[in-house]
Amino acid sequence: MSYSSSRFAPYSIVLLACLTAAGCSASASNNGFFGKTDPPRQNVLRYVSGSEPESIDPQIPNGQNEARICLALYEGLAEYDPKTSQPIPALAEHWDVNKDWSEVTFYLRHDGRFSNGDPITARDFAYTIRRGLTPALAASYASMAYPIKYAQAFNEGGVFVFDPGSKTYLLERDFEKPSEAATGSNSSAPSTESQPLSSQPIESVADEYPANAQLGADSAFHHLMHAPVRVVLPAKEKDRNAALEANPRLKAATAGKQFIPVTAGDVGVEAVDDYTLRLVLVKPAPYFISMMPHQFFRALHQKTIEKFGSAWTDAANIVTSGPFTLESWKHYDRLIARRDPKYWDAANVRLDKIVFLMLADNTTMLNLYKAGDLEATYNHTVPAAWLDTIGSLKDFMDAPEAAIDFYNFNTTTGPTKDVRVRKALNMSIDKKALADWRHVQPLTAMTPLGIFPGYPQPKGDPFDPDRAKRLLAEAGYTDATGNFDAKKLAATDIEVLTNPDGSNISYAEFMQAQWKQNLGVTISIRVMEAKTFFKAQKSLEYKGVSRTGWGADYMDPYTFLSLFYTASGNNGTGWWDPKYVELLDKANRTIDRQQRYALLAQAEQILLDAQPVLPIVIGTTRLLKKPYVKGMYPNPATLIPWKWVYIERDPAKWDYGMPDMK
Amino acid sequence: MLRFIIRRIIVIVPMLFIVISLTWALVRLAPGTFYSGEKKLAPGVEKNLREKYGLDQPWYVQYGKVLRNIARFDFGNSLKYEGQSVNQILLRGLPVSAALGLSAYLLALLVGLTTGTLSALKQNSWIDYASMSLSMLGISVPNFILGPLLVLLFSLTLFWFPPALWDGFPSRSLVLPAITLSAIYIAYIARLTRSGMLEVMRSDYIRTARAKGLSETQVVIRHALRGGLLPVVSFSGPALAFLITGTVVVEKVFALPGLGNYFINACFNRDEPLIIGIVAFISIAVLVFNLLVDIAYGFIDPRIRYT
Repeated sequence: MSYSSSRFAPYSIVLLACLTAAGCSASASNNGFFGKTDPPRQNVLRYVSGSEPESIDPQIPNGQNEARICLALYEGLAEYDPKTSQPIPALAEHWDVNKDWSEVTFYLRHDGRFSNGDPITARDFAYTIRRGLTPALAASYASMAYPIKYAQAFNEGGVFVFDPGSKTYLLERDFEKPSEAATGSNSSAPSTESQPLSSQPIESVADEYPANAQLGADSAFHHLMHAPVRVVLPAKEKDRNAALEANPRLKAATAGKQFIPVTAGDVGVEAVDDYTLRLVLVKPAPYFISMMPHQFFRALHQKTIEKFGSAWTDAANIVTSGPFTLESWKHYDRLIARRDPKYWDAANVRLDKIVFLMLADNTTMLNLYKAGDLEATYNHTVPAAWLDTIGSLKDFMDAPEAAIDFYNFNTTTGPTKDVRVRKALNMSIDKKALADWRHVQPLTAMTPLGIFPGYPQPKGDPFDPDRAKRLLAEAGYTDATGNFDAKKLAATDIEVLTNPDGSNISYAEFMQAQWKQNLGVTISIRVMEAKTFFKAQKSLEYKGVSRTGWGADYMDPYTFLSLFYTASGNNGTGWWDPKYVELLDKANRTIDRQQRYALLAQAEQILLDAQPVLPIVIGTTRLLKKPYVKGMYPNPATLIPWKWVYIERDPAKWDYGMPDMK
Repeated sequence: MLRFIIRRIIVIVPMLFIVISLTWALVRLAPGTFYSGEKKLAPGVEKNLREKYGLDQPWYVQYGKVLRNIARFDFGNSLKYEGQSVNQILLRGLPVSAALGLSAYLLALLVGLTTGTLSALKQNSWIDYASMSLSMLGISVPNFILGPLLVLLFSLTLFWFPPALWDGFPSRSLVLPAITLSAIYIAYIARLTRSGMLEVMRSDYIRTARAKGLSETQVVIRHALRGGLLPVVSFSGPALAFLITGTVVVEKVFALPGLGNYFINACFNRDEPLIIGIVAFISIAVLVFNLLVDIAYGFIDPRIRYT
């Protein structure tokens, strides 16, 4: 309710005052940089990773603070491009996708090595993916792998339905609801008997690929994976019965059948030979490759994990796959990563060490940076209030981010149930003014502008207070003469719900002022502690408007558009439209990139027409980097692939301003 | 004396039980969980997490587990930090907090007692006025302001001390946090010492001591200080407990890996075992130090007898 709930508001204001003063005096005398610009004597980069990592097991945590470290320690099939964040070959030299996007084959490089010298093979990646999906591991980002066939079934602890009589499994297509079957399936006569392959369960993972065997491109498993999708039900009897109640036909069919648990071996991952990895997808996912650099898919060493259990990440035990390996980790203090001489491309890794400092307080970070104790800070570390001082300096890096800020509308109750009210509230915000004030780019759509080249992003409604008033009048908020009457829109019906972190409250106050100025409507702000807020938002326990944002999980517009694929999950608006989902599915079945983008844009237009959200601004990186740090770019994912970063000692080659991002 | 101590120790157990139960209930009542965030997890992933950490069990089972763990001084594993036990985390944070707290405490005693005694002896002199004004400032200026001011002066202008981070004990990184932390305690101790001394200096036994012909130094050190320090002792016992078990703001401002920093993050993270572990630890420390203060009273003030 009150602003005093903000964590350390009082002291940050004082800090701000002190440091702005300090910043002014120093920057004037320091060639336009913020603080010292003496390179460290050794090739050691000091960086901040954020708050203490939950774990440096790349499959456990889900924050950027861990990702920053995991990118140094582990390598995946693909890596982020340092400038564009698009996937580029890493441990996979190249990859093929079949025509209907049901299968992706990765061809691994032959010289990939773990930090203990063991070769990195397709088998290791198969292990990594299966392990990440194991229910007992409870990996937060396991859902990243759900496009892989039976990955979700295995991770959620599902069962197949097996008919001991005919030795076959029940298939999903036989029990689809009519409406879905019409759009989804184009196959002919459904028959369980004609699918002998689907009745052959894989006994164990070891059977699939015997050690040292050279298998051909084809295998029984391969056939099995392309057989029709089996019915998957929850393993827990209570949940299963609930699922069966909803589908009487399926319930009848399961009578007398066996329930066989989905195992790791059922997941559509296959090591065809030592250096060929084949993944079978449950439905087309052209964005799948852009997920591959994600830490969840980075190579792990099976023997180490099996030997040490959860202690495998201790410095004494750990085996890593990236350009750097773990030297030491002093919890809540610092983690030191050291160049791994066994890394396949070690000759091109120029930093000897990276010191990741565990701190998340922006002021402390900027103090350290200024005093020359840090080479760079991560994204969003320069508060908007400091931009007047720091924004013009040569070591300030600002570029668009694959992240957006927007407000949710509660489309289920209250005035915002009416699309005209939602549109009016959106149109009455001068986003350009907001963006200029915060030094960011305004946003009218659901995807960030300029991040996905070639994507024909639709434009949302422009700033138009008069039309907003007309829309509100149409919605019934009128006086006796039929004109819009702001008093009719009761102040208690709509409020902006937000958590106090970052600049959220300043944004909310700006919006509040805009609605007051442009519509005469009074809308109050309600501040809630973060975790309380997330819960209220996701269960639609808010009146009218709630603040939110989204950072891309992978570099594809779908990461933003898929928020509204379901009515639940991260969709905090209650809005859901089958036409929208249908277009998204259609887009993902489309192989041609431009056609696919066009379909995604159509879907985005439907979303903008329904206006369940109020787009505000695009995120910007806003970080500091010393001029002598090269190979580090403020990319859209704001994750730094460390192997290309180095310290340049010749001032003639330093970055005096933003490095070239092309 | 022994009976007194035993009785006090027995009281610690139910007190601890109440503190733990209240903490547990409050953590449970707070909305959100350790895994909830801006991005909602897939339902299957959430189910796996709840099963992994036993959150799918009924509340009394979970509460029973908490109590059982505490009875064995094993607070279980952190929910947030994979594979790290709360005991490990406590043992890691305690030395940092203790080093900082003890340094600040000794500094506070040294400076506070000296200025307090001087002020009392030279009452209404310029020394008295100067030190009492300064201590008023020390009480009024909160450490989240003092800390950044010191950083601004000594780290970013003079470059004498690092602005943050921990380099072990002893090191230069300790100086600014210790000064920041001790300021308010210096101020309190100075004022308490002054008023205590003033009162004692007027009492009959001091007049007797003087009448015996003792020198002024001996009067002050052997007789006056013992009586004059009583209020300081009752203040500084619990103060020490709080100082060495972690100080949230100073550790946050200087990014020190102490218990206070762990505690504040545990609360934001809803890391229940860690919250309970730290609360239990601080409670025990405060209760024990209070007991020590009561015992110390007996030694300092001959008028106090325990029955």
